[in-house]
Amino acid sequence: MDILVQIVTCLNRTANALGRYLLAPIGWLPGWFSMTIVSAMTGVLLLVVFKYTSNQKAIRRVRDKIKAHLLEMKLFKESAAVTLRAQGRVFLSVSRLLSLSIVPMCVMLVPVCLLMAQLALWYQSRPLRVGEGAVITLKLGGCGESSWPNVIFETNPAADVVVGPVRVQRKREICWHVRARQAGYHQIRFQVDHETTEKELAVGDHYMRLARKRPSWNWLETLLHPSEKPFPPDAAVQSIEIDYPDRASYISGTDWWVVYWFVISMVAAWCFRPWLHVSI
Amino acid sequence: MAKSSIRKISRRTVLKRSAIAVAACAAGVGGGSFWLGRRKRNSTHLGKKVIVIGFDGMDPQLARRMMDAGELPNLAKLRQGGGFRQLGTSIPPQSPVAWANFINGAGPGSHGIFDFIHRHPSEQCAPFFSAAETVSGKGYWDVGDYRLQLNFWPFNHKLPATLLRRQGVPFWDYLDEAGIPSTFYDLPSNYPPSPSQHGNHRCLSGMGTPDMLGTYGTYQHFAEDGPQGTVNEGGGKRTQLIFQQETAKAHLVGPENQFLKESTPTSVEFLVHRDRQANAAVIEVQGRKILLESGSWSPWIRLDFNLSTPAFVPDETAHGICRFYLQEVAPNFRLYVTPINIDPSDPAIQMAEPDSFVQDISDRLGLFYTAGFQEDHKALSNGVFSDDEFVRQAGMVLEERLALLDYALQDYEDGLLFFYFSSTDLQSHMLWWNNNDKHPTRSESEAKKYFGNIRQLYQRLDGVVGDLLARYGNRATLFVMSDHGFANFGRQFNLNSYLRYHGYLGRPECTSLFRDVDWSQTAAYGLGINGLYLNLKGRERDGIIEPGDQQEAILQELTQRLESVRDVNGQQVIHHVHRTDKAYSGSATALAPDLVVGYCRGYRASWATCLGDLTDEILLDNDSAWSADHCADVAEVPGVLFSNRTIDMANPALVDLAPSILNEFGLPIPSSMEGKNIF
Repeated sequence: MDILVQIVTCLNRTANALGRYLLAPIGWLPGWFSMTIVSAMTGVLLLVVFKYTSNQKAIRRVRDKIKAHLLEMKLFKESAAVTLRAQGRVFLSVSRLLSLSIVPMCVMLVPVCLLMAQLALWYQSRPLRVGEGAVITLKLGGCGESSWPNVIFETNPAADVVVGPVRVQRKREICWHVRARQAGYHQIRFQVDHETTEKELAVGDHYMRLARKRPSWNWLETLLHPSEKPFPPDAAVQSIEIDYPDRASYISGTDWWVVYWFVISMVAAWCFRPWLHVSI
Repeated sequence: MAKSSIRKISRRTVLKRSAIAVAACAAGVGGGSFWLGRRKRNSTHLGKKVIVIGFDGMDPQLARRMMDAGELPNLAKLRQGGGFRQLGTSIPPQSPVAWANFINGAGPGSHGIFDFIHRHPSEQCAPFFSAAETVSGKGYWDVGDYRLQLNFWPFNHKLPATLLRRQGVPFWDYLDEAGIPSTFYDLPSNYPPSPSQHGNHRCLSGMGTPDMLGTYGTYQHFAEDGPQGTVNEGGGKRTQLIFQQETAKAHLVGPENQFLKESTPTSVEFLVHRDRQANAAVIEVQGRKILLESGSWSPWIRLDFNLSTPAFVPDETAHGICRFYLQEVAPNFRLYVTPINIDPSDPAIQMAEPDSFVQDISDRLGLFYTAGFQEDHKALSNGVFSDDEFVRQAGMVLEERLALLDYALQDYEDGLLFFYFSSTDLQSHMLWWNNNDKHPTRSESEAKKYFGNIRQLYQRLDGVVGDLLARYGNRATLFVMSDHGFANFGRQFNLNSYLRYHGYLGRPECTSLFRDVDWSQTAAYGLGINGLYLNLKGRERDGIIEPGDQQEAILQELTQRLESVRDVNGQQVIHHVHRTDKAYSGSATALAPDLVVGYCRGYRASWATCLGDLTDEILLDNDSAWSADHCADVAEVPGVLFSNRTIDMANPALVDLAPSILNEFGLPIPSSMEGKNIF
């Protein structure tokens, strides 16, 4: 598992470098527009990848077969035996078509996951507005019986602590309710038994690339929260999470952006299919 | 030459074309505006503004005293201009009745609301809420444990519905028809909101709007010393919390799942993590964390209640909102949760006309109380809140209302704007005490201190009036009105015990109208707060009083006897008993009581009377934190009427306001209205 986390961390480094600059226009474009552009472009890009990683000849052959069997069904609809046989062959051909998509899907799986994680940094939550509050949860390592380190939320100009620290004994968590004071990206610092730990805080009223969580040493968490380095497995702190507010929009808002991205990328790929001569 | 000519012609052409373009643009903009304006309001009101501010329960005696003392400068200014009168209230002076009088411009005989509670005579005293009634649906499709109602072909099942029981024509219908826009915020006696036929009327329902549990407001209280399981108490639920490793699990009870054959309440689980050292707690609910210090309130939290359906139908979700208030962390952890209000951003029921109106408000203001009763008087009555906690919660309600008023004024252009404040009513019920008599629950000094809150509230609202005057001056006609006044409630009268004592209600050992009353021995009974009904043959299922002479004789006898009731100190208890066949006129009197008992100031029907229970004593002290009331006689608790115009009518009443508003817009007063123009 250690290796998996290291691989994901390494991939995240590249994805972050690309994502930070290539997706930067999201920060100043309207959400619906940037989401549409990103979705359409990724749809076309994935179509190109599909073209060069799939067996286009075989796909065309199978599609022709499906057409032939459909025609067969239309022509010989009086004959139950022929119709049933044609239906069976259509079913087999569709399965074959799916199997031909496995290779390109495998090739695209990792980049798409990385892309989704990068897009989530922009669209899944919105940054805190100045004066708005949020809960920050610091999860400690160790088990229930182990002693609690001394944790201090360092004062900073970016955010005030309104309530906390409040300890959740059962989960070994410490929570603060903070109120944002200054717009921009800020590093908030925690003193954990003389060691300093950091987490980025985003404050503003436009689209910002923000990390909800600085993840624990876990490959899936690291994949889902790519922006900040995971905490090492032996660290006193396991993770730090900021409860950013949801973004309300059916296009570029929390959870809905994935649906919109999927639909628009599919539509774009479908539209560009004839120009790029791709058979799906 | 040619070049010069071209230049010359070109410049002229440019000038010409520019002039034509400017003229065309101006004509287009002007014509478009005219067309749009005409489309929007094809009316005669010509931008007329009328603003009505309803301070429920503002009392003329207190207002007058405070104006005399210079404590209400803005209202005093209106008084100086001849714009102040006592406002005659309804018979009886209960809010649903009074506001319906205002709405119809006519008395209860026109709108058919006579009390908070009515009864079905055919079911012999079966009570129901007067303003709205939920009727069950018809037809269903049985699927396992579920009962699906499909209101489309070929099933055509009839879904259950809540119906507005107020009858007659509300005055805004006349404005609507004339193309005059009207907007009402928190209007009482209008849930569910009546529809707008022409699209010029908007309304957010007020008093009468239920919470997610379908009640007028049910808080939920969680405490370590609470009862095991969940115990219902009037207006609330109490549950014990058990902590393990400083974490406790509990459930917030939500609406009933009506898809189930045996409908059961839905719930949302939440966790409480307590930190004694920090004197704070973390509440985890539906993936959200809320940090609260002892004595602090959370913001509004959205809750999604899952309504399960058969496997082949996607589950439904009902959206509610609530706020948490952490009262104490240790040694006895106590957590109060507001009634689960309907989410204004995604309402589960229609609470506004048009439907989207409440969402438009929520888009700008976020979440807010939507239940009709917002100040949690039940929490104070049941001892969940201390006096100070109630004052704080009521203050938060007022702040929300003021924010809503701000929105309302920003959104208002012309036509009618109505805005309602419940604070003057519900705070007065709990904090009013204007003499040195013994208060039901407070010491003399405490009673004085909390009554001071009412004075502060009046001053705050005077400031609201001042802002409106500064903003609109004489460009708007302003009405500031209340539906009734207020009086101490120190002694309670059990009407049914009185009737039993005098042999009108049997058996002699009867303890409840709903359990052990013998209708064959009962000539009359009380139900609701002021209503007295004869057990009339042909009307009531088990009636025994013959209509005609016997009915007349008993009505006269009861009137005389009740008006002569005296307290132990010789004080008159009942000011006047009204015969409804004389007091009411109109076509909606079928459910009217026969007599309306109008109590003297200081008295009211007992709590037991309202619940249909009988007590040993007829007159007893009120021992509730609900220490002031207005359900007395119409003459005892008039309301107030202020205006920035001189009021000519000497004794205006609630029914006169609708005709006056219509008159302001140049509309004729309909014959169905009993009131007259006050100006």
